[in-house]
Amino acid sequence: MVKVQAQGQVRQRLLEMGFIRGARLRVEKLAPLGDPMELVIKGYHLSLRREESSCILVRLVTG
Amino acid sequence: MTLTIALAGNPNCGKTTLFNALTGARHHVGNWPGVTVERRSGTFEHGGATMEVVDLPGTYSLSARSDDERVASQFLASPEVDLVLNVLDASNLERNLYLSTQLLELGKPVAFVLNMVDDAENRGVRIDVPALELLLGGPVIPTVGNRELGITELKVLLASMARGESNRCRRVTVDYGHDIEGELAKLQAEICRDELLEAAMPPRWLALQLLENNAEAKRVVAESHASEAIRHQLSKSFAFLEPHLGADGATLVAERRYGFAHGLVKEVATAADEKTTPTARLDAVLTHRLLGVPIFIGVLALMYSLSFVLGKIPQDWIADGFKALSDFAGARLPAGELTSLLVDGVIPGVSAVIVFVPVIMILMGCIAFLEDTGYMARAAFIMDRLMHVMGLHGKSFIPLIMGSGCNVPAIQAARTIESPQDRLITMLVTPLVSCSARLQVYIVIAGTFFTPFKAALAIIAMHFLGLGLAVLMGRLLRSALFSGPSSPFVMELPPYRLPTLKATLIHMWEKGSIFLTRAGTTIFAGATLVWFLSRYPGIANRQWTLEYQQQRQVVTTLNLPVAQAEERLKQLQLAHESRIVNTSLAARLGQKVEPILRPILDPDHKRAEAWKDVIALTAGFVAKEIVVSTMAVIHQASEEPKEGERLSPLQVALRDGSGLTPLTALAFMVFTLIYTPCLGTIAMIRREAGSWGWAAFTVSYGLVLGWGLAWVTVAVGRAMGFA
Repeated sequence: MVKVQAQGQVRQRLLEMGFIRGARLRVEKLAPLGDPMELVIKGYHLSLRREESSCILVRLVTG
Repeated sequence: MTLTIALAGNPNCGKTTLFNALTGARHHVGNWPGVTVERRSGTFEHGGATMEVVDLPGTYSLSARSDDERVASQFLASPEVDLVLNVLDASNLERNLYLSTQLLELGKPVAFVLNMVDDAENRGVRIDVPALELLLGGPVIPTVGNRELGITELKVLLASMARGESNRCRRVTVDYGHDIEGELAKLQAEICRDELLEAAMPPRWLALQLLENNAEAKRVVAESHASEAIRHQLSKSFAFLEPHLGADGATLVAERRYGFAHGLVKEVATAADEKTTPTARLDAVLTHRLLGVPIFIGVLALMYSLSFVLGKIPQDWIADGFKALSDFAGARLPAGELTSLLVDGVIPGVSAVIVFVPVIMILMGCIAFLEDTGYMARAAFIMDRLMHVMGLHGKSFIPLIMGSGCNVPAIQAARTIESPQDRLITMLVTPLVSCSARLQVYIVIAGTFFTPFKAALAIIAMHFLGLGLAVLMGRLLRSALFSGPSSPFVMELPPYRLPTLKATLIHMWEKGSIFLTRAGTTIFAGATLVWFLSRYPGIANRQWTLEYQQQRQVVTTLNLPVAQAEERLKQLQLAHESRIVNTSLAARLGQKVEPILRPILDPDHKRAEAWKDVIALTAGFVAKEIVVSTMAVIHQASEEPKEGERLSPLQVALRDGSGLTPLTALAFMVFTLIYTPCLGTIAMIRREAGSWGWAAFTVSYGLVLGWGLAWVTVAVGRAMGFA
């Protein structure tokens, strides 16, 4: 997880929820209708729409 | 002296369970001033000290962007609060501690509750409580809220703090690092130039919020005489920090807070096991790509049948009981104004309020259960895509579907939607969903004017029209009322938990009593008003009453067989009531209003009695169930079919005497679907949206839309050659 590119409300919300530089996240699954997606970050599960998750820059880490 | 304790914590941390455990039944539910955020407060006594506990809305932070956060941060900053009790979910400590860093910055004494330690232990997380106390600078009590473990220890601690005996609170603050601390100090110095600002909240807290680019903090500063200097210093700080540390203020502050939380967790807690949790195993099925939707539909069907099929049984008892009471009173008391007020006004009015209670309690119980187990978030996860296309939130789905049973609890169910915009839009469009009471009107009308097959089609069409309109209006209202982007859909999927029966029962009781006290009075007042409009002045006409009594006496002296006599008496009663209603204020109103409705109910100006529809529709304002019984009175024909006949006398009267054609009958159905929500729904919208304005808006847009669509029905129908 590298950076949150969103602005305003969404950005602040994501930061508070733990989307900070260096945090690790895992995409768990997509909802049955394809959107939103379930992520695991800082040990808890979170649901994000594509709209919002597209603002998050990540780098692939294996393991 | 009472100590006021503010209960703060993340959503899903078990705060409300803990609140219930602390205060028991001694609590009060209301709203925070100006917003529709629930405010729960209660008291408890321990060791001679009385303490007031205020349960704040669950929030992830105090940055004052949503109503919940604004309420929480304003209350926490107010001098009313003596002690902050921060509830932490032990199984999700790191994110929960983010809020704690902010609470510590507010400068009030903070005590901590480490809740759900059993969950954490099951996941292999063991927490060193003394170490946590040391690092947080305040007492920490481990608890298991739903099993009431640790509650006594918590009460002992709070009581000793109330008596001023325990002073275990030390000031601990997050260290933001040399660069940020330097800028914070400079900002604080500027803030302290204004004593008022300095007194309003801790300068360090304000300085941090400014660095985070918080709109609320900027608004506070803008009112200060030092605002110029503060703004100048802030832009200097930004200019220094951003290139220097490679990120903007908000990111930097969040990173340091999480850094503090992360370090603390590493210090005091063991890492969680890698084994799959029960939640993961459940989710593998419940949010499965293929199984997720069918399971959700199953849950929905179960909830629907519990509320509206099972709930209908006590509802029928209540309705029958009140009907019997009213019949009894009607038969025993002499005919007249007071009797009518009691029999046609007060008893049906009270009945109209109370019949909702079983359904509300069951549906709210189901919803509370789904929320407390964590499935509600999954339901929203599954349905969000569909609802998002409609301009709504995943959590709007349940209220919309439940609306087809009854709109009143459906609007209350919209409470689960966090974003106020999404909640408001959901509440405003829910009345368009055709409820079971409107179904009774369709059955009578469609059964009269259409063949059974076409009638079924028409009734189904009404339900789809209602849902379709709800979706369309949702989109329209979203773009008309809230031009900004829709609120972010960042929703936690909490671990599954089994709520206690007590928690669910408390919730059911609260919702039922809120409905009775807040909405009940409105419904009752409205029902009495409609009684007045539809009975006066005829009910006060002594001559008519006398004639009616004489006619009854004649029948009783005839010595007819019992069944025949009863039949005759019923007819007399219907004739008497019909005479009153058809000359009432409502009838006069109907005659005045009739020209407006003529294009939809009487396009050929052939109907002499179109104004009678207006009386029925006016009565439908109280409850749609009353439309049919009012029609029976107006047309002097019973609504119950005689044995062996398909149509009831009322339907025959409508077919032969009302002048409605199949096309205008369809228009009447369309208008009934949309024209106005019933009083219960209106009262609920007022209560849940917090203003009469939105309730009035719902009524007026319904009237306009209903008229428009009924007109379209007539116009299109005629163009296609129907009459």
